[in-house]
Amino acid sequence: MLLYYLRLSALSYRRNPILSTLMVLAVAIGVGSYMVVFTLNYVMGGDPIPYKSDQLYHVSLDTGDPNHEDDPPEQLTYLDATALLDADRAFRETASSKFGGTIEPANPELRPFSIVGRGAMADFFPMFDVPFLFGSPWDAQADESMDNVVVLSRETNDRLFGGDNSVGESIIMNGEPYQVVGVINDWQPVPKYYDVNNGPFDSGEDAYIPWRILPAKNYSRPGNTNCWKAIDGRGADAFLNSECVWIQYWVELRDQNEAEDYLSFVNNYALQQKELGRFERPLNNNLFDVQEWMVEQEVLPDETRILSMLAGMLMAVCLLNTIGLLLSKFLGKSGEIGVRQALGANKRSLFIQHMIEAGFLGMLGGLLGLGAAAVGLRGIKYLLSSDFMVTDLIQLNVPVAMYTIALAVIATIVAGLYPIWRACNVNPAIHLKTQ
Amino acid sequence: MEIGPIFRTLLRNKLGVLLIAIQIAFTMTVMINAIFIINERTELVNTPSGMDDANLFHINVIGIGDDYNEQIAIADDLAMLNAIPGVIAATTINSLPVSGGGSSTGVRLEYDISQPSVGTAIYYGDNHTINTMDLELIAGEGFSELDVPYRDTNGFTNAAKTVISRQLAENLFPERAPGSVIGEYMFLPAGNEIQIVGVVEELVAPWPTSSVFHRSMLVPEIFLDGFSIYLIRTEPGQRDRVTPEVEAALVAANPERVVRALETMDETRADTFRVDSSLMVILWVIIGMLLFITGMGIVGLAVFSINRRRKQIGTRRALGASRLEILRYFMLENFMISTMGVLIGAALTIGLSIFISTAFNMPAMAWYYTPLGMLTLVVLGQLAVFGPSNGAAKTELAIATRSV
Amino acid sequence: MLEMSNISKVFRTEVVETHALRDFTLTVDQGEFVTITGPSGCGKTTFLNIAGLLENYTSGTYLLDGQDVSNLSDFQRAKLRNEKIGFIFQSFNLMPDLNLFDNIDVPLRYRGMKAGERKERIEHALESVGLASRRKHLPAQLSGGQQQRVAIARALVGQPLFLLADEPTGNLDSNTAMGVMELLQEINAGGTTIIMVTHDQELAETSKRNIHILDGQISNLPSVSQTASINPPAVSATV
Repeated sequence: MLLYYLRLSALSYRRNPILSTLMVLAVAIGVGSYMVVFTLNYVMGGDPIPYKSDQLYHVSLDTGDPNHEDDPPEQLTYLDATALLDADRAFRETASSKFGGTIEPANPELRPFSIVGRGAMADFFPMFDVPFLFGSPWDAQADESMDNVVVLSRETNDRLFGGDNSVGESIIMNGEPYQVVGVINDWQPVPKYYDVNNGPFDSGEDAYIPWRILPAKNYSRPGNTNCWKAIDGRGADAFLNSECVWIQYWVELRDQNEAEDYLSFVNNYALQQKELGRFERPLNNNLFDVQEWMVEQEVLPDETRILSMLAGMLMAVCLLNTIGLLLSKFLGKSGEIGVRQALGANKRSLFIQHMIEAGFLGMLGGLLGLGAAAVGLRGIKYLLSSDFMVTDLIQLNVPVAMYTIALAVIATIVAGLYPIWRACNVNPAIHLKTQ
Repeated sequence: MEIGPIFRTLLRNKLGVLLIAIQIAFTMTVMINAIFIINERTELVNTPSGMDDANLFHINVIGIGDDYNEQIAIADDLAMLNAIPGVIAATTINSLPVSGGGSSTGVRLEYDISQPSVGTAIYYGDNHTINTMDLELIAGEGFSELDVPYRDTNGFTNAAKTVISRQLAENLFPERAPGSVIGEYMFLPAGNEIQIVGVVEELVAPWPTSSVFHRSMLVPEIFLDGFSIYLIRTEPGQRDRVTPEVEAALVAANPERVVRALETMDETRADTFRVDSSLMVILWVIIGMLLFITGMGIVGLAVFSINRRRKQIGTRRALGASRLEILRYFMLENFMISTMGVLIGAALTIGLSIFISTAFNMPAMAWYYTPLGMLTLVVLGQLAVFGPSNGAAKTELAIATRSV
Repeated sequence: MLEMSNISKVFRTEVVETHALRDFTLTVDQGEFVTITGPSGCGKTTFLNIAGLLENYTSGTYLLDGQDVSNLSDFQRAKLRNEKIGFIFQSFNLMPDLNLFDNIDVPLRYRGMKAGERKERIEHALESVGLASRRKHLPAQLSGGQQQRVAIARALVGQPLFLLADEPTGNLDSNTAMGVMELLQEINAGGTTIIMVTHDQELAETSKRNIHILDGQISNLPSVSQTASINPPAVSATV
């Protein structure tokens, strides 16, 4: 019976090719646009690490200007970061910040090149589940003794060592030898949720070293540095002792209890600092998990939200269009429906027949819409271009494609409910008489 | 004009009418708000920076190793760059307008840090910066070589003089002419004073969406931190020829460093505004699709509706309607539906625009957008229905007497 | 009032030539009640369409109220239909979405009449068919006979020169049909010319004058009025 109805649907399409094609187009455009915007939102605002995003927290300390009302600083000062590191109270924790470096390849044929690196503690890698291609992270001892060890990104390893296992090799970075202990595999979360304050859509860092080296050797900081208070004195030490914020601090806390404990520890620390004249604002310290932090820092650009709204209205217009066209189509078939009833079709089978026809059109629209969405995403990738942000993830994957087609079929069937009901309830006698 | 009868007919077919009217309403809402956003962004993307962007490019130089004498290197580099034919001027600077990255600070007219400060971008350059950027000095003067100290740490500036943008002057000294603020002192957060020696018409901040966008101060001071940005202005038309020469010359001059990130100001601006330009393209595509769908929908429904009424059309012709009158009937019917649609649309448009203004921090929409949008959609509807209406007018009369 | 001379109507397709009317000549005077009969396919509908300016004819002359209609523009023909002819159709052809008042209103609108005058005429027309109280009702709420009365009112409201009725009782039961015929007789008695096409022989014989068409030509002898002329049947050349 299904095949019979499908055949009827195809015939019906041929009888009203223009109307039917318009309908398919409307569904395709509506569903396609919706999927493009959905994918954008999903890629840029989705949960980057769903299985533990509620266990990773960014620490927010309000060390801001007491004379000025605004949000707490987004990053931490050196004093606070090192104090928290030394206290070592969380299950896992890390300070991290970007640094600028130049690498001098051993091969004299290759020119020195600059890189953007990240200083981090050993815990960084297990916390964010960074995948390793060769070797492993350094250990806690290397953190404390500030060993010159480095973990390379896959691209950097390709560039320096042709992609070979370079664990144990030495590179010259910022004028000093560093020993390679590991090479990470492709790791490109979008956005870079572990550092949303310094280019959340930039590509990943080229090399990772123990974080304490950064302040110790005064490496350049290509990230944001914000100081509300003047630095007291000159020189690197004066900067480190200032209220300038430039460090991200993440902790991993396995359950609610650990989280509460850590927050009270942080608040106690703040109270102690208040006695020393710091933390001049009223107490306002927080732990934000991954999703909360991205919302707090407004990582998802306004543009995607505006697009969501507009795409939603576009989809609504397409749906209304489809309802109108289905109404025309099915009402126009009143004669045929009347004849079928005279020949013995009951309301139920008429209903099913037309549901299947609507679904058939929806399926066509969904397939076409899938193509449209793919084209649309390609277009957006081109517009944004990969210099600006990492766009590899902006593409359709199988679950999304299935969802698209299902959406199209269901939407068309829903759109067809009223038209079908109307058409099937017309008194057949009226349409069987000659007018 | 059969407004009454048409209206009563429409009332009998509320669903069909509503379907079209709401489509028109939504299309209008999206179209107007999208165009408004596009206009806003276009203005933003075209904001002049105060510099001669078309002829400017910049390049980074990063020293390697502790032996790198940045002070000498900068002096040598700039001398060499200035000697290249086609180069008008070259300077070193810490960041660039409309680039997305840079420094900002807050200045006060009094020493007391509990008083509110005026936010401003801060650029650190040398005595050639104003000339290289080709800024328009509207009062006072620039810097001489003697004014430019060197500094090798982070912290706040030690320079004694500054040139500020007109907007900063107006915010600090309201009601005063730019010329009259020359010689005044400002206080930086560290408590040190700095004297205003010049005012330029415009120098924008690195961040286009920031509230400090039109406020900046140029301070003569060179950071010795191993990392330099050179900004170079060429003769008109010479930029693309000169850029590879400059890069090659810098590379050849000193092997102890990395020379990278050569970019023209035009490219830098394009990068900074990439999201905005992409958004504009996407919005145009959405508008186009909406107009297409709604237009086609009106055509499709009109064709259907007219076909259903063939007998009626024939009867009207028999009763004395001319072709023109039949055409006019259907155009009028569509006009009434469109009018309903744009009235609903007007309410929705204003509602959505208020929401967008408040939620996304954009200015309010000018009054003429909505009426213009209403007119456009009504015209679109009329254009869409003209074809089918014309077809209706050509209905053969004998259909009235046919019995099948 | 209506003078057709040697009207021929030929339908040509690629292979077939059909003569719907051949050499058809007929004159109808003011005040007459003429019925046109004939088997199906004989050409009576074609005659009606031509008489009502709904169709063009291939050759011959048609003078309506003394005016030659052959070279009139569409606009002029529409005007003639509006002012001089009143149509009554077999299937009533009322606008289903308009109430009775608006239905009768339709032809008046095409005259550019003022609202006040229109209202007066429509009310009067509704009264004359006995349906004034139902002016706001839709056609679907009326019986067949009532709908036909409304159609008649619509045809009369513009005070046309003559009524053209196409099987006006075809869709009605015999009692209602009689009622409609009585109404038509009344109207004719009041001075309005009526030309009525019908396949019902009995009905035709009640009229003062009957024209019988066969194969596109008049085939019966003239009765009361002598102004019809018969041409000898021509040998038709078919392809």
